[in-house]
Amino acid sequence: MKKFLSMISAVSLALALTAASLPARAQLSIEIVGGGASQIPITILPLAGEDRYTQKISEIVSADLLRSGLFRLGGVGAARPFPSDTSEVDYRHWRNEGAQTLVLGRVLDRPDGSVEVRFRVLDVGKQTQLLGYSFNIAVPQLRLTAHRIADLIYEKLTGDVGVFATKIAYVVKTGEVFELQVADADGYNPQVVHRYREPIISPQWSPDGTRIAYVSFEQKKPIVYVLNVFDGTRRVVASFEGSNSAPAWSPDGRRLAVTLTKDGSSQIYLMNADGTGLTRLTYSQSIDTEPNFSPDGRHILFTSDRAGSPQIYRARIDGVGEPERVTFGGGYNVTPRHTPDGKAFVFVTRTEGRYNVAIQNIASRQVQILTAGQMDQSPTVAPNGKMILYASETRGRGILAAVSSDGRIKQRITAQAGDIREPTWGPLTNNRR
Amino acid sequence: MKNAVLALCLSFFLAACASQGQRAEIEQRDLFDQQQQEQQRELARQAEEERQAQILQEQEELRRQLEEQQRRQQEQARAQEEQPVIQPITGAGESDARLATDPWSQLRDPSPGNPLSQRSVYYEFDRYDISDRYMPLVEAHAKFLMQHPELRVVVQGNCDDRGSREYNLALGQRRAESVKRAMVLLGVNDRQVESVSFGAEKPVADGTDEASWAQNRRSDIVYLNEPE
Repeated sequence: MKKFLSMISAVSLALALTAASLPARAQLSIEIVGGGASQIPITILPLAGEDRYTQKISEIVSADLLRSGLFRLGGVGAARPFPSDTSEVDYRHWRNEGAQTLVLGRVLDRPDGSVEVRFRVLDVGKQTQLLGYSFNIAVPQLRLTAHRIADLIYEKLTGDVGVFATKIAYVVKTGEVFELQVADADGYNPQVVHRYREPIISPQWSPDGTRIAYVSFEQKKPIVYVLNVFDGTRRVVASFEGSNSAPAWSPDGRRLAVTLTKDGSSQIYLMNADGTGLTRLTYSQSIDTEPNFSPDGRHILFTSDRAGSPQIYRARIDGVGEPERVTFGGGYNVTPRHTPDGKAFVFVTRTEGRYNVAIQNIASRQVQILTAGQMDQSPTVAPNGKMILYASETRGRGILAAVSSDGRIKQRITAQAGDIREPTWGPLTNNRR
Repeated sequence: MKNAVLALCLSFFLAACASQGQRAEIEQRDLFDQQQQEQQRELARQAEEERQAQILQEQEELRRQLEEQQRRQQEQARAQEEQPVIQPITGAGESDARLATDPWSQLRDPSPGNPLSQRSVYYEFDRYDISDRYMPLVEAHAKFLMQHPELRVVVQGNCDDRGSREYNLALGQRRAESVKRAMVLLGVNDRQVESVSFGAEKPVADGTDEASWAQNRRSDIVYLNEPE
């Protein structure tokens, strides 16, 4: 990877990963297994000139919006050629085709070898433009640009932030080999960023999307590393006597919470992101682990069995006061992860021998179980809070699945080979607008 | 040493007489053999006496160590009531006093009477206390580590794969820690034992049934630098 160091400064995260990493063996495929109750109708026309490239913008945008479960794609009709600018649109024709919102545009070659992508979103009924953007990009950025366009449309029509241009990371186990992979949020373009013949668990993206903290057993014990996904450099941040695990980033990316056993039982400690400045946060004779920062950085949620069974607790980051228990239903509630608004958290709960992902409102303590698998675990919340990615199993094989935070929309994500597990959803990147 | 010098002189003497004909030579050889056998018997007897003395000494030392362990253990038990129950060592001190010169061959001796060849402690579901069945194994390794202060072990705790990976990692740590604590209570130097966890990440059985899970709920005692 290192030989690509020189080109990193210029390009986006997506491009750096494309260039810098080893290609993964298996492409991911995403299957939608549920949909929202009311779907927004949208008609997306092929962009003029997009056929000259393998990455076809309109197809990628359509797939993104469809996968969210919130959109219904309208037919493009029989009339040719498709309009590529507002002046070419026959609104009456598209109204007759049943279109309410129309997406169109073109891909233009520029003399310097780059391309210009123009797109518009039109309200057919009002005959007005809802959105219109132009991007000047290099050819390898076509796919990322399509995700950006999908984000813009999603935001305009749903009012929520789009996450199509984000990254996910996860672990693939094939035989005895473990790979930490990074892919686009749609599973495309998986890249291996770390490979070893020992287990890798608990990857967590840093809030700026440049680093992943994870636990590797390559030294025959769990040790916490921080990997820079841009340049491939890696740093040991926690390698104390005993076990080192469960890294969690503070919202500003400057600190990590980790679980260490150097003083006996599993306890939670805070440190700087480079491993210096260690302080102990929890003091119990029990297991305290799986810390997760609140978005304001003032609290952590964590798992503890101090009352006998594993339950979720909330503690102040300054260590003042006793941790407060927040889960009470059932005998097994673990792996808390805040939603980005800080008002709720997802977690794993055990009911009648099944392990499922649930969501709890912090103020009302109302709980909703979101999944129905036998062994669902390791939930990670999308940066817009709308979807939750998690690890599941089908016929003994590890897969990823996603569910909307209202439980209505479900996706299943499988690799062609190997067990896929331990997902972590990356942050919103590229200072958008 | 003195015996060796005597034997050397005797052989010179016999060599000087060698010219006295074949019959005489045979008699001398017989005589030589007889004397040599006597000397060897004497040497063996002395060596056996020394070895017996050494064994007695070692037994005495072991008894002292065991009494010390029991004393510490009782103290600790009083101090920390929530610790796992450690059984007093019984019936040890005689048969195990024979020390092999190579610790690795002793560890690996597969005979049924050698608990050192067993390296795994198994657990009930959601438990981390060492059952009576595995206490002799832990005691044997503790004693062995006290006899070999240069050796170090890593106790690796494991779980079945149901539930959170990180919580399982903590449960595996608790299992490994209970073995370490037992060894330290028995008198092993704290620095000879590190407890770590593999959680549910290194199953020996891949099935999703109780028989597989039971095999995965275990602590392994791994000696550092043990030859392959």
